[in-house]
Amino acid sequence: MEEYVGALWDRLITGAAEKRHAAVTVKLDDIAKSAAIFFRALGGDPGLGISAAPAVRHGARRRLLQRVAGSGEKVELSWRDGEVLRLPSQIDLFAKQTLNRDLYFWLVALAAAESDNSQPWIIRNQLATQATLERFPGLQSRYDWLVEAVIALRIPAEKLPADEAAQENTIRQALQYPGTVDAIALTARPFQPVPLWPHPHPPVNAATSSAAGLGSPEQSGNAANKKSRRKHLAERTDAKEDKNGFLMMFRAESLFSWSEFVKVNRPQDEEDDSETAQLAAEDMDNLTIARDGKTSAANVRFDLDLPAGAVDDTPLGEGVLLPEWHWKKQVLQPDYCSLQQLIATDAKPCELPHALKNTANHLRRQFQALTPTRHWRKGQQDGDELDMDAWVQLVSEKNSTMPTSEHGLYRVQVNQERDLACLLLADLSLSTDAYVSNHSRVIDVIRDSLLLFSEALTATGDSFALYGFSSLKRSHVRFHYIKGFEEKYSGQVRGRIAAIKPGYYTRMGAAIRQASSLLVQQKKHQRLLLILTDGKPNDLDQYEGRYGIEDTRMALLEAKKLGLRPFCVTIDSEASDYLPHLFGAGGYVVIRNPEDLPKELPLLYAQMTR
Amino acid sequence: MDTKTSNTPFYEPSGDECELFERAWKNRLPLLIKGPTGCGKTRFVSHMAARLNLPLYTVACHDDLTAADLVGRHLIGDGETIWNDGPLTRAVREGGICYLDEVVEARKDTTVVLHPLADDRRMLPIDRTGELLQAPPSFMLVVSYNPGYQNFLKGMKPSTRQRFVSLTFDFPTAAQEEAVLIGETGIDTMTAKRLVSIAGAFRALRDHDLEEVASTRLLVYAATLIKDGYDPVRACRAALVETLTDDAETAVALNEVVSATFGR
Repeated sequence: MEEYVGALWDRLITGAAEKRHAAVTVKLDDIAKSAAIFFRALGGDPGLGISAAPAVRHGARRRLLQRVAGSGEKVELSWRDGEVLRLPSQIDLFAKQTLNRDLYFWLVALAAAESDNSQPWIIRNQLATQATLERFPGLQSRYDWLVEAVIALRIPAEKLPADEAAQENTIRQALQYPGTVDAIALTARPFQPVPLWPHPHPPVNAATSSAAGLGSPEQSGNAANKKSRRKHLAERTDAKEDKNGFLMMFRAESLFSWSEFVKVNRPQDEEDDSETAQLAAEDMDNLTIARDGKTSAANVRFDLDLPAGAVDDTPLGEGVLLPEWHWKKQVLQPDYCSLQQLIATDAKPCELPHALKNTANHLRRQFQALTPTRHWRKGQQDGDELDMDAWVQLVSEKNSTMPTSEHGLYRVQVNQERDLACLLLADLSLSTDAYVSNHSRVIDVIRDSLLLFSEALTATGDSFALYGFSSLKRSHVRFHYIKGFEEKYSGQVRGRIAAIKPGYYTRMGAAIRQASSLLVQQKKHQRLLLILTDGKPNDLDQYEGRYGIEDTRMALLEAKKLGLRPFCVTIDSEASDYLPHLFGAGGYVVIRNPEDLPKELPLLYAQMTR
Repeated sequence: MDTKTSNTPFYEPSGDECELFERAWKNRLPLLIKGPTGCGKTRFVSHMAARLNLPLYTVACHDDLTAADLVGRHLIGDGETIWNDGPLTRAVREGGICYLDEVVEARKDTTVVLHPLADDRRMLPIDRTGELLQAPPSFMLVVSYNPGYQNFLKGMKPSTRQRFVSLTFDFPTAAQEEAVLIGETGIDTMTAKRLVSIAGAFRALRDHDLEEVASTRLLVYAATLIKDGYDPVRACRAALVETLTDDAETAVALNEVVSATFGR
């Protein structure tokens, strides 16, 4: 009973203190894609992703009820850095849904405005507000409503001590009449957060401060796991190596709070208690991340070291040196990656798996319609021979009383040529080891796709090649030979497809450059580079986040300049964040249900090349 | 298919394209104009044809366009066959301008008939009549295409491209585009400015979120509706947003840009 009353009281007091409006909440997930497009339309950096901002402790004065309820300590504010634009994960500040939504779009518009970071925060925001309103005068009325609504939520100046009241009035003035405030006086207590403006001091993003040589491990968990959009403040630190984790090396009373980082070398936990960890992480102010290069056994089922030479696939020839794009320096680093073409050693010729036979037959029949054929087209205005049927009809019409119409009286023989070459490049990184359903992994889906794709293309007679790729840092990009353009699709090729295994990381740029150089040698009119993947470019060194994406983008631009047409087929549900930047609108497709990929891929190809 | 122009249509030059056109014409060089849809390529050619006082034959190319559609064909009449010139042959005979709009859309075998006309021979062989026409000095061949607006795998054959003087068109600058809108529709300066600002925002999404961005032509449509008294936000929605995208979330973002400009 006590517990029940306690919970009831907590709910009541928190509800009264917070004045949130759950019924009209607008969630970032629901507007993220539109917000990203809006941001780019307003001139924002097209390479920037949108992500949820962490809640931070603001330390400002709270209302009495909030203090009683112990709530309102944290606030989610927006900010941007070189990699992402962070926005609150949800907005429920106002009683009207349109206002909550307007606040999102206002924050995006403000983030897209050029800002001079050398200016003090209060001036920067006023300048950005002025610039945004000048460029988009239609926002003025919405801005006025938002300012009015935000001011109504703030503790009135008359309830504050004199110095804080003066500060509060300055902020209100800057909001109502942007451009009229030159400076803000500092007080002992931080001012109340201003939801209309970005965070005053954007915390350093962990990814940007990451030391070169440390990348995020490729995920091999369940791909269906939805990632939380809520992000945490993070800082990087060095892992302790020389101390034993279970020896107490601090005095308990010096531990102020459990959220502070304690440099304890805690051996990796074998238990997969991710749910508890997730809950604990939600409550933390800061997540401190140490990198020691070791990855938990619970996450990685495959040895990431390269296999011994004796058991590895056979290298084909010397390695190829390829350049890589450094987006921050804006330079192409020559001979930066070393790519090794490999061929499966243990591939035995085999037949098409029984389970795929029906689909393959079906696809073959459909694809035979695309086969180049010569046929007669009747009723043409011009042509090789007279169309006797049309001629007879014309004569009979003339002899009758019916009015004659103009007919094409010739027939012409047409040859529907298909002058195209296609190179399919499949991602074989470790992430493809993830399960997409109870009985198949991404790699199985890719394997089936390669088989059905080959079956279908053999029916059309189009020239095609199949390659796979994975990587382990820049010195070892693995480029798997499955089928060359000259080679016939045979049991041997099927054997190589059956032998593909997931492993390592996704250095996409190098693989695309190599595939482009192979495809460009094909003297065909249309050259299609199909990329089959399940996630973002990623590798152990600095090849992660923006770096990997920009290098891949550069490789794709180079391919386009060579006259190739890159197209991406992905099963990554979050691909809309970065794929438009890489491939452009209409240059990619996201397969929502990965298990449909084997059937979808050939049909997609038919659609594209018709 | 073909149009003959009498009075000079409105055209706002963005650089020295008029001079280049005149020089190419004077020196008997064929011209290739590249540029996005609706940026004024066709208007430019009509304008130049009127300025030079030349007959203009415009052919909108498409998948089924045959060589016979350009050169001409025999028509079967009452007991006899009559030869009928195509637009290209007529332009050659009359010494006018033949303008092939969106030339990449035409079948590859069709464009081959242009080769002897486009190089220094300036000849048009007509196999069916056994004629070999020599183009007079005033004849000019102009083709255009849109490098972004193509079927996924279409492009222009290098051997065809190599025969032309080329000119790239892009959307006009903001000030020029405002002048075009005012000149075409008589809309007020403030509305023209706002429409151009919306177009600028949409064009930032080229090759990223939108396959095709707002053309000057679409802006003229929007301006026409507004001038007629239609609500600006709804006019932009109809003439720009809905025309440019079918994707609901993209449309939401584009509508936000429109209301950020015109208010709601």
